[in-house]
Amino acid sequence: MRLFSSLFSLLLLTAGAAASKKSATDRFDEYHVKAQSASPVKLKDASYKSLTGAPRDYSVAVLLTALDSRFKCQLCTEFQPEWDLISKSWAKGDKSGDSRMIFSTLDFSDGRDVFLSLGLQTAPVLLLFQPTAGPNAVAVQEPLRFDFTSGPPTAEQIHAWVSRHLPGRPHPPVKRPINWMRWLSTVTIVLGLGTVLVTASPYILPIVQNRNIWASISLISILLFTSGHMFNHIRKVPYVAGDGRGGVSYVAPGFQSQFGLETQIVAALYGILSFCAISLAVKVPRIADSKTQQVAVIAWGGVLFLVYSFLLSVFRIKNGGYPFSLPPFM
Amino acid sequence: MTAKSQDLLAGVTAPKVRTLLRVVILFFIAGAAVSSRLFSVIRFESIIHEFDPWFNFRATKYLVANGFYKFWDWFDDRTWHPLGRVTGGTLYPGLMVTSGAIYHALRALTIPVDIRNICVLLAPAFSGLTAYATYLLTNEMTTSPSAGLLAAIFMGIAPGYISRSVAGSYDNEAIAIFLLVFTFFLWIKALKLGSMLWGALCALFYGYMVASWGGYAFITCLLPMHALVLICMGRYSTRLYVSYTTWYALGTLASMQIPFVGFLPVKTSEHMPALGIFGFLQLIGFIQYVRSAISGRQFQTFLVTLLVATFGLGLAGLVGLTSLGYIAPWGGRFYSLWDTGYAKIHIPIIASVSEHQPTAWPSFFFDLNFLIWLFPAGVYLCFQNLRDEHVFIVVYAMFGSYFAGVMVRLMLTLTPVVCVAAAIAVSQILDTYLSVKVPIVDETAASSTDSAPKKAKGGLRATEKPNVGIFNNLSKVVVTGAMTIYLLMFVTHCTWVTSNAYSSPSVVLASRLPDGSQHIIDDYREAYQWLRQNTKEDAKIMSWWDYGYQIGGMADRPTLVDNNTWNNTHIATVGKAMSSREEVSYPIMRQHEVDYVLVVFGGLLGYSGDDINKFLWMVRIAEGIWPDEVKERDFFTARGEYKVDHDATETMKNSLMYKMSYYNYNTLFPSGQAVDRVRGVRMPDQGPVLDTVEEAFTSENWIIRIYKVKDLDNVGRDHGAAAAFARGQKKKKIQKKRGARVLRVD
Repeated sequence: MRLFSSLFSLLLLTAGAAASKKSATDRFDEYHVKAQSASPVKLKDASYKSLTGAPRDYSVAVLLTALDSRFKCQLCTEFQPEWDLISKSWAKGDKSGDSRMIFSTLDFSDGRDVFLSLGLQTAPVLLLFQPTAGPNAVAVQEPLRFDFTSGPPTAEQIHAWVSRHLPGRPHPPVKRPINWMRWLSTVTIVLGLGTVLVTASPYILPIVQNRNIWASISLISILLFTSGHMFNHIRKVPYVAGDGRGGVSYVAPGFQSQFGLETQIVAALYGILSFCAISLAVKVPRIADSKTQQVAVIAWGGVLFLVYSFLLSVFRIKNGGYPFSLPPFM
Repeated sequence: MTAKSQDLLAGVTAPKVRTLLRVVILFFIAGAAVSSRLFSVIRFESIIHEFDPWFNFRATKYLVANGFYKFWDWFDDRTWHPLGRVTGGTLYPGLMVTSGAIYHALRALTIPVDIRNICVLLAPAFSGLTAYATYLLTNEMTTSPSAGLLAAIFMGIAPGYISRSVAGSYDNEAIAIFLLVFTFFLWIKALKLGSMLWGALCALFYGYMVASWGGYAFITCLLPMHALVLICMGRYSTRLYVSYTTWYALGTLASMQIPFVGFLPVKTSEHMPALGIFGFLQLIGFIQYVRSAISGRQFQTFLVTLLVATFGLGLAGLVGLTSLGYIAPWGGRFYSLWDTGYAKIHIPIIASVSEHQPTAWPSFFFDLNFLIWLFPAGVYLCFQNLRDEHVFIVVYAMFGSYFAGVMVRLMLTLTPVVCVAAAIAVSQILDTYLSVKVPIVDETAASSTDSAPKKAKGGLRATEKPNVGIFNNLSKVVVTGAMTIYLLMFVTHCTWVTSNAYSSPSVVLASRLPDGSQHIIDDYREAYQWLRQNTKEDAKIMSWWDYGYQIGGMADRPTLVDNNTWNNTHIATVGKAMSSREEVSYPIMRQHEVDYVLVVFGGLLGYSGDDINKFLWMVRIAEGIWPDEVKERDFFTARGEYKVDHDATETMKNSLMYKMSYYNYNTLFPSGQAVDRVRGVRMPDQGPVLDTVEEAFTSENWIIRIYKVKDLDNVGRDHGAAAAFARGQKKKKIQKKRGARVLRVD
């Protein structure tokens, strides 16, 4: 029985080798030449089979992707430039083929059968076929699969992954092309801005030196920071969320969570409270008329009291056990 | 309230009585600050809290026992086994030296006192000093007699500062906040007077600060920032030159005396602003000098050439030195403050600490109460006069609030400026509305026409008109009444927060029984005591790094990793051992000579800070070093959920941490009733099986579980087979199924 099965597999192997007709080295040379002109190598059903067929003494990385806009594969399109970048820089850095590594792409529209035979439901899939023969051969026949769980990876991440599985071989580094356009535009913009600033300085200087403007800038930034704006920025919290009954919930439950709108409400409350305090401290004593002053004091004091009461009630939503409150929002 | 009595007496009493009153009030404030921090001592006992304080306590004991020079050269072989730690050169010695000095001083006065009590009470004692320092700093900002006292009491009882300075919280921040505020006071004083003496004092306290807390970088960046803003506003003066250069030169020399800091002040980017401003000031000083010697036209050309050349040279030098590697780029911890996504990707060990998380708005209100909305008002009032020292408050307020927003822990550096600004606002309001004088209308009308044009330029729009005062008594009563209510609420809020949130030692937990009486949960100390009494003196304990300092301090046993997270690889090794299968973990534990493994499990009690909840960080940190062997994805179910019940993934169920946490847990409950109270899920009937470790100790409430690592099997079997034999399972004949032996080529 065992003899038979091994004979059978041997037969299969020879058949596979015959199907690809050429020896592994020839195939590598063929695709390596292709890769030198255009990497990653564009594959079709047939060429996929011949390239990844065993035995092979080289490694192949195949990106199975679906770039056609019909499939709406956002990750595929986002990852494609990075994939082109790493395969180009690898091909450029390894002209003689010492690393024995080919980068290739198989699009769904060119290789429907391969997708079906592999039973793939999602794209992109990145497979790394390790050599089955030669000095670098590994025991595991199955291709390695890259994990796309955390968004589109950068070329450097792919490079690290590939290099890890090709020990003892050259790993041409990723070379990002210099973005001349960006440099040029940056320099132009900087020079342009400088010119504008110099020519317009008689008009801008009074604004820059205006104390009121600086006061408002600093107050606004303080209000932003103390109302948890940085938390929103870092945690990328939702702006608002539904309350499950079709309505909108403005305040997130829990002490360590918040919504974008919630922080804006809180910043506004702080702003009103500060403004009332400033008015009481600075503006009201400067009202020369006794009656107006009386009205202003009552108004600002009343608003301050009401808003502070409301703020406390909002805080009690966040922290259920908080015991203090002011009327009327008890 | 204090301000009220102050002002009422202001008119009638002599200056001497007012000074006396001030002193008395300050003493009362210090008393209030100290006593509000004693909740935990009264409720529990005089005990060191949390994690880091346990190391500081241990180091202080070493210092007191062995003297300063031995402490300086201390190599600790009982932590980070088998690497050890050069403790003397990798800590900030300020805290230990301070308490050591107090200890010896009290001994010299023949007061017999235990070093533990000094350590426990150091933070409250220093909070009294902080209140005084805040009083001094605020008095530099305003002429109002009440502002300083208000700032002192705010600082004394604000929860934002209490959170880090209750009795028993023996951490670097305990003395560092006093040093921070006092250094700022000295800086303002030096800047105002242009005095080299005050500048040198500022440098001295800056050096003390560097010796005490890593947060000294805040001063290192804030003072140059203040100087730069002053220069940009065209306020360069010889006072600024003298005070800044004195501070920088002496302060840098002082900071370089600390072995842990060493040459960092001239080598890392976070210290470069201070150096850059130092150079810039020299340049401006030189230009000022030349201006007096050369005529106008020549001077202009000379000036432009000089500025451009210096700027270009400086920038090229900085870039060159950075690329050659002489100046380190931004340190990871510091850099993560600017690029907030950085830590999450590159340094999971920083991202894993809860106090490095960003701050949600309730935390601000919780820690500062009504000060948070008086803070912007106070900053606005600083713009009224906008002298050099007011610019400092504005700059500090902006930076402080940004940093506090990014990292919860830095709320501590924000609190002083909030107290100062809020006190300025409150005192302005109280001074206005508590004045008994009623303004006379004619006079004000006349003066308004005089002074209006004078003030119109450069000031705030709100202060263009003259200040007349309050006419109506009702207004005065309404506003002062409301302010009194707010102040009283602030006091009750602070007491409530301190009592409820910040006074738990976290080593000892408290809960309420149904009849309302207090029940103390003392599992941690029970377990550490067990270790101390039942294990060998040099038994190595493996646990997650959070508990390293406590094991070292309370159980006095060597640990593999601890809260001084200096070696990421070593921590990742422990993470790998915890998150791998037993067959993988066992060789790791043998290689590190681990005798016992300690895990924290809260499932029985509903204690959420346990190891299963921290487990993903162990996995992540291990994955950072061994991406092929530990994969975070494998611990999530196919639907991306983190599960510990029936649906848990195989990797999860086979991980050492999972097995040790839930080992025998199902036997506590009737069949099918086992419940994990933290995750709120029902556990499988069949508990995990452990082969390579055996249960040694489980505390009363199952919070701490300790396992002994088994020795090698006597007859050379692997542990799986030996354990199966012991359980009486028949040895399965698995050899047959394997098929032909193949030569593995790895």
